[in-house]
Amino acid sequence: MFETRRVRTRVLLQLLLTVLVIPFVFPLVAMVQGSLKGAGWANYGTVLSLPLLPGFFRNSAIIAAAVIVIVLVCTMTAAFGFSKLHIKGKEFFFWLLLACLTLPGVVLLSPLFATVTRVGGYNTLWAVILPVAALQIPFTTLLARNFVDGIPNELLEAARVDGANTVRTFWYVLAPLTRPIMAAIVVLVFINSWNEFLLALLFLQTPDHQTITLVPQYFVGQYNNDQTKVLAAAVLTGLPVVIAYIALQRYFERGLAAGALK
Amino acid sequence: MTAITRQPGATTARSSRRRPPQRLRRPAGLPWILPALVVSVGLLYYCIFYTAYLSTLDWDGTSPLKENVGAANYVKMVSDPVFRGALWHTLVFFVVSLVVQVVLGIVFACLLHSKLYLKTFYKVLIFIPVVLATATVAPVFRQIYAPDGTLNGLLGAVGLDGLQQTWLSNPTIALLIVISVQIWQSTGVVFVLYFAAIGQIESEVLEAARLDGAGNLRIIASIVWPSVRGTTIAITILTAIGSLKTFDIPFLVTSGGPSYGTEFLGTQIYRVSISFAQVGYGAALSMVLLVLALAAAVIINVGGRRGSATDV
Repeated sequence: MFETRRVRTRVLLQLLLTVLVIPFVFPLVAMVQGSLKGAGWANYGTVLSLPLLPGFFRNSAIIAAAVIVIVLVCTMTAAFGFSKLHIKGKEFFFWLLLACLTLPGVVLLSPLFATVTRVGGYNTLWAVILPVAALQIPFTTLLARNFVDGIPNELLEAARVDGANTVRTFWYVLAPLTRPIMAAIVVLVFINSWNEFLLALLFLQTPDHQTITLVPQYFVGQYNNDQTKVLAAAVLTGLPVVIAYIALQRYFERGLAAGALK
Repeated sequence: MTAITRQPGATTARSSRRRPPQRLRRPAGLPWILPALVVSVGLLYYCIFYTAYLSTLDWDGTSPLKENVGAANYVKMVSDPVFRGALWHTLVFFVVSLVVQVVLGIVFACLLHSKLYLKTFYKVLIFIPVVLATATVAPVFRQIYAPDGTLNGLLGAVGLDGLQQTWLSNPTIALLIVISVQIWQSTGVVFVLYFAAIGQIESEVLEAARLDGAGNLRIIASIVWPSVRGTTIAITILTAIGSLKTFDIPFLVTSGGPSYGTEFLGTQIYRVSISFAQVGYGAALSMVLLVLALAAAVIINVGGRRGSATDV
């Protein structure tokens, strides 16, 4: 993009990039540094030896896994239906779904609360799983439909001519072809559900049901605002997503970009 | 309303491709879209209609006593200074974060498309804040801006003691801090979108401009900026809806304070519905928020489209 043939410009641009990145790194450095103050690595020891900690991680993992399965199944079947099958009033249904893209989660607060308490779902993981999945599906369906639209109809018709029914066509033709977008969706949904805060705060009341996004608050209460422990807990809760992102970086960026281009 | 289906993915244009002769009628697809419709449309629309109903009540959320008060909750909003404050904060938040993110996003995208060292490393650094939960990083920001925190420590270390202050107890500074955390967290997304869009500009165009003597800034202004217009519109919509949705950052970093100085619609709805147990008023605020989000998406989309038509 930029002209970098002269060494001077190249050094200047590299310098500019570095200076601009510093504000993005600074809070991360402050986080790690703060977590090592006082007792040093022993802060991590204290946090890790907390008997409830594995439970927080387990609950977040269960929620993330359940949301991923629900979203992936709903999204891929819907993308197939919207893109390749005959549905009367299809664009109307699609529009209904897309209108939900603008829906702020906080709008669901009171109705969900009333409904969840009525059906006895209060303080269960389902109270978080279903709304989080419902809020993700519009965006992931948009992504997946864009992708499936790019698959030639002839491929699917050939499968039908060979006698495959719709289910087999989906499973043996469409599913293998859509792996890249499925990977992108899995990463996106994992990060969003792992990071969910509001619904977890609202519906998960006892520590044995709470998720890792509630850990910093839990520590503020437990350790009387001992910042070093709170920050150590923050580093530990942030690590899984950072690792997931770095390992799957390519899919993640491709997925995001696919949603906004075109 | 069809405008909204075009963004951010614009699928409708593609589905109008030429149909092959209808030898094979496509199989019925309704069962295939049903799971998504039930889980997503079913649950969300149920909640929206339920909210609309709740917004006409005077109810504390638990007692069997529900009184229908008609539009009283909406009337109450007009004279509610906290609500007006929340709208104003949302607007400031939207404008400032949009401008800063678009500028930073384009600069980062252009820089990382240039021949520089360690590009993946820089990309990862810009993007890590995106994947971290606000709940995870909020303690860090509270620590940085605390009276005995990192920022005051730094100022003291370089001899600028005069600038030290209790950052989060000044409403204006607290609002700017909330905005800066938002910029920190979502510039990565804006950057990735611009990075992909700029990657689609044909290199011949850039080379031709360069042969004609255009410098780096000129190329950004005359070639990059017009060609990423669609992305900018998408980002404007995303930022507008994101601003209206803002909850985690003010809730966790400033608790909406001091004295409602960083109250947003999201935090107000939470405070009103949960802490004050005024479910009806909270629901009315939710309906207004929903309408604003839909309207913002439609207006920006239509406006952006009209603008592009006159440009050409």
